[in-house]
Amino acid sequence: MPDVFVAGAGMTRVGRRSEPLPELMADAAHAALAEAGLDVPDAIVVATMNPEEFIGDGNFASNVATQMGFADVPTLRVETATSSGAAAFYTGFAQVAAGLRHTVLVVGGEKMTHLTTPKVSELIGRSIDPYERAYGATMPALAGLVTRALMTRGAANAREIAQVAVKNHANAARNPLAHFQDAVTLEQVLESRMVADPLRLLHCCPISDGAAAVVVSAEPAHVRVAGIGHGTDTLAMRHRRELTSFGATRMAAREAYGMARFGPERIDVAEVHDAFAPFELISLEDLGLVPPGKAGRATLDGETALDGRLPINPSGGLKARGHPLAATGLAQIVECVWQLTGRAHGRQVAGARRALAHSIGGLATNNWVTLLESRG
Amino acid sequence: MLETIAASRCPRCQMVVAPPASYCPHHPVLMTPDSLPGIGEIVSFTTLHTPPAGFKSPLHLAIVELDGGARFVCHGSDVKGLKVGAAVAIEAIDNIYYFSNLGTLDRARLFWRRAGRAGDRVNAIARSLAKRMWKGKHRAAS
Repeated sequence: MPDVFVAGAGMTRVGRRSEPLPELMADAAHAALAEAGLDVPDAIVVATMNPEEFIGDGNFASNVATQMGFADVPTLRVETATSSGAAAFYTGFAQVAAGLRHTVLVVGGEKMTHLTTPKVSELIGRSIDPYERAYGATMPALAGLVTRALMTRGAANAREIAQVAVKNHANAARNPLAHFQDAVTLEQVLESRMVADPLRLLHCCPISDGAAAVVVSAEPAHVRVAGIGHGTDTLAMRHRRELTSFGATRMAAREAYGMARFGPERIDVAEVHDAFAPFELISLEDLGLVPPGKAGRATLDGETALDGRLPINPSGGLKARGHPLAATGLAQIVECVWQLTGRAHGRQVAGARRALAHSIGGLATNNWVTLLESRG
Repeated sequence: MLETIAASRCPRCQMVVAPPASYCPHHPVLMTPDSLPGIGEIVSFTTLHTPPAGFKSPLHLAIVELDGGARFVCHGSDVKGLKVGAAVAIEAIDNIYYFSNLGTLDRARLFWRRAGRAGDRVNAIARSLAKRMWKGKHRAAS
């Protein structure tokens, strides 16, 4: 398989944005293209989770392409719920790796903040099994079930889970593009409003608007795609034997490490899907970045902090950079590219050479692991 | 009698799911209809304080592992003192399934029922408890 490179990366500030979604996506796309020194890509892959319902627009590949001046460039859209951005990256990667295209622009975005929180919660909840949804299951509800099982098993305690939020808010405060710019204390997290017992408000990611884009290319560049893995699991939570480990992450990680021919011990920095704080702890173990049962302790000991052994979510993660759904998988890759090329100003992990991005679709039904390597 | 919950079984891997499904989640084969008794153990539970439209707060939600292996999602009447691993009875009220925590006495009766003695009263207790606490209380009028 020929090498595939990331030639450019760009993203908008994440948060409450007044611009229409195609405009946000055009901003991210043109930033990535400018960095790649590319005028027109051979093809475009668009990621949006649910523009039909969030903003009322369909046929979104053509919509976005036309509104950024690329009506004549072949464009398609990819969707795997909240990991759509990572799935789109895989699609662009595959087109280049297969020799079908030389350069592909991959751009993802979502706009949600114009809707009320219950409405957003309902729309995101459509990715849950219909039977479980009929019983009132929302994403926070399912995450609450996972968190209770995790704590009951003794795999993580309340302070360890809260520390994920504290760390990621501290990182976001150093990222001018992050949704949250403020630090939070352990006490604030532990005393925040209960959402889905034992999950609290400050354990959960915010509702955000934003867009992110990368250019993948057959032309050698500073960052090489070392491996990509895709993992899946049952739509229904009740069909799983395990609640406190995500099979889809383990499956994706196995495939990605296999393709890259290196394991988790070589990773210098990672962006991990922390839509809910306990998911970061679960994912660290599923990805093999931390030994089983040690993620909570490692987090509380500062091992995953910006100045720790293995910095996790230097961007602030979904928790604090924000989670504009289909933009997120790409925003993670953008952060990894910036870390690998020494441009993560204010939050740079010194000497980072290998980065991992981990994206969860739905309640871990469709997950991705992307490994990037610096050639410098 | 105890509630009977409709389920289905995969002829290839023997996985049981409830409610029944056409295909096994893990194999492209049609499942065989099956049924399970409405008793089991709490796998996990949560209380939603801002439930979606159509539900009243607080909404108790649980995953229960039924005797017979299938995991089942249902509502609950109360989670006070409830622990993961607790034995619960499941019953349907207006086609919606609820769990209720079984006390020591109920479990003793269940033991006798399993041992072959009549255990109708267990279900009667569960039924009256669940009905008293739940009927019309946690679902908004439709």
